[in-house]
Amino acid sequence: MRRVAIVAYAQMKYTKNRNSSREVMIHDVAREALSMAGISKGDVDTVINAQNDYFDGRTISNMKTVASSGAYFKDESKIEMDGAFAAFYAYMRILTGNHDVAMVIGESMASCYPPYLPGIWSLDPTFDRPNGFLNEISAAALQARLYMHKYGVTEKQIAQVAVKNLKNANKNPYALRKMPQIAQKDVLQSRLLYAPIRELNAYPLTDGACAIILAEEGKARQIAKNPVWIAGVGCCHDTYFLGERELYECASLERAAEAAYKMAEIKNPQKQIHVVELHENFSHEELIYCEALGLCGRGKGGQLIDSKTTEINGSIPVNPSGGALSANPTYATGLIRLCEVAMQIRGEAGEHQVKHEVKIGLAHGQNGLCAQDNIVFILKGGDK
Amino acid sequence: MRNLAIVGIGLTKHVSKRRDVNIPELVYEAVKAALDDAGIHPKDLDALVTGNMPAFEGINCPELWGGGYWGGYRKPLIRITTGGSTGASVAQGAFYLVASGLYDIVLAVAFEKQSDGNTTIGLNTTALADVANMTAYGLSGPEIEASGAIGLFVYQATSYMAKSGCTIEHIDRAAAMLRNNAAKNPYAHLQQAGVTAADIAKTPMISYPLRFGHTCPTSDGACAMVLATEEKARKLSRKPVWVNGWAACSEEPAIVGLFGAGSINVDPAEQRSCKLAATKAYAMAGIKEPWKEIDLAEPYVPFAYQLFIYFERLLLCDEGNAPRLFDKGVMELDGNLPTCPSGAVVSSNAIGAAAMIRIAECALQIKGEAGQRQVTKDVHNAVAHGLGGQANLNVVTVLSDMPSRR
Repeated sequence: MRRVAIVAYAQMKYTKNRNSSREVMIHDVAREALSMAGISKGDVDTVINAQNDYFDGRTISNMKTVASSGAYFKDESKIEMDGAFAAFYAYMRILTGNHDVAMVIGESMASCYPPYLPGIWSLDPTFDRPNGFLNEISAAALQARLYMHKYGVTEKQIAQVAVKNLKNANKNPYALRKMPQIAQKDVLQSRLLYAPIRELNAYPLTDGACAIILAEEGKARQIAKNPVWIAGVGCCHDTYFLGERELYECASLERAAEAAYKMAEIKNPQKQIHVVELHENFSHEELIYCEALGLCGRGKGGQLIDSKTTEINGSIPVNPSGGALSANPTYATGLIRLCEVAMQIRGEAGEHQVKHEVKIGLAHGQNGLCAQDNIVFILKGGDK
Repeated sequence: MRNLAIVGIGLTKHVSKRRDVNIPELVYEAVKAALDDAGIHPKDLDALVTGNMPAFEGINCPELWGGGYWGGYRKPLIRITTGGSTGASVAQGAFYLVASGLYDIVLAVAFEKQSDGNTTIGLNTTALADVANMTAYGLSGPEIEASGAIGLFVYQATSYMAKSGCTIEHIDRAAAMLRNNAAKNPYAHLQQAGVTAADIAKTPMISYPLRFGHTCPTSDGACAMVLATEEKARKLSRKPVWVNGWAACSEEPAIVGLFGAGSINVDPAEQRSCKLAATKAYAMAGIKEPWKEIDLAEPYVPFAYQLFIYFERLLLCDEGNAPRLFDKGVMELDGNLPTCPSGAVVSSNAIGAAAMIRIAECALQIKGEAGQRQVTKDVHNAVAHGLGGQANLNVVTVLSDMPSRR
């Protein structure tokens, strides 16, 4: 099987209102990624866009972004899921041998659509939508309550996740939500959305885009001094109906991680993984995901955050970038996780670079209510 | 790269309104048929690829609602959408997953249930983004309102007619041939056996040169295909249909693109991206002279004149020559290069599914299982095409009765 690496990436300063067209946003990150790789758009074989028609407010959203994503006269396609799935599709495309170099771009402009509505439009239109009880925040609240009840996790522990991530975000130049003085009480006193979810437990609405360039081994070595290899990948889709899922755990993420670990030959994730970037829309999700990924025992998420293991100076830093709580341009978020892990492995994360050596990192992406779809990437630096 | 083949095909009968089922149920009919055709159980699937156009029925990402019901429960699932070409893009997604070496049996599912929503409203959102550009070029209210699908394609049609000598009578006759093919296809929406070019010519003009009889209906329907590696395919199917070549190509949107760089400046009938995609797909399949080696074509024809333009852009004859070949009967069911034996998109258009049905039809013809519409000649190699975006995303697939890679 071919080996594939991330050879370049580009992020932008995430904002509440970008005040430009999305095409310009896409163009900027695509151009920046090409310039980091030192290649021209002619060297790219295929382009995968991650966008959503409802978030973009127009159907067939990718047709207008052909030029800005550098896909003119190229094999372009659109994944209508989180950007990490677009990276997965680009990876598949390179593995076949049909393409050698792929550009992956995810983008979203929260300032252009009614917040949270696209999530409601994805509900079962015959029952859940007319009832009006479910939306992504109320579903997350159900999940958080269930998780707290099941394992005795407290609101303070969940607030601490937000504190940890938002503190990390201060050191990330791209982050939108920066709160240098944040403390647990700020989170616990922030506006209540759906109990126990408060404003600072939830992601901020964000405008932004992210791009990465993938290449097969030969090209990767030509393009980059320090390519970051995709060592493993796994994804999994779960059932729609929340009642059919054990919301206090995340079975589809467990399956995805299992596949990725197997492919990357990871037997003990707690020891072998040096940095983790999770796509968590709400702070309690991080604890559930850490359990699903095997970073702690079942039901031990609360203890994990108390132990400070996942802080930027801990043994398995989780979200040193600040994660999706600091900036969440939906459909780019998972791609940003890949990008951040690549930065950590290459030692290019600047102020939020973790202190210990990072050789293997994990990036996660999700899609749908309470993470119905999950994807896990294992990235490796160095030659092996 | 691994060889891969289609081992199961499932289609639903297309109609304008399926009131008896919801989206997951409609799609399940196609999924069940495909799994039965392949003789497998949902647990045998390694992954799913799915897609439709979400704005057309008012449900964002319906696979979140129905994916588990289609065999996707606790499996890898990805969603691909590219407009009219969605079905072909979904199929190619499945080709990539199988060919990558990571997944052995993959289900591709595409669908549309247009009766649940309003497609023209969905399509107008694509045009609204262009209003500023359109007014700058002097287009006004009615043209902008008509700019859903037909408002775009009349530019392509008139440009093509001017260059090729294709007449409106040619389009009438093409529509009549396709409608008669559709009447032999039990899955097709419009069933107008015996309709003549004279009947088509009596239908009202929608926007010159396209009459009502030249245009596609809005349909509810779904298509599913099971893709498998060579090893699995030989076990599962007596006659696997090999996917030997595929490619896609994108270019500038064909109404008025970003910064006005679209069709006002660029000819929407040129379709260079289709020629590039076809060239790549043929090369991958080892086909050097498509006009000789291809036995059957299924271009994406939602408006009857596109039978000619895409026959040419798929490199099956010289540019401008398709109407004359049509006059000689080349494209008929008993012709030399039968084209759109299914009755084409012009006879049934469940948008998300339409481009995948072109691939499924080629496979059925290669297997000799197309029933009344089975073409006279033996079909060894066939080409299927999908068109999406504002006529700027072209997807081409070459199928065969033999694998081209050993």
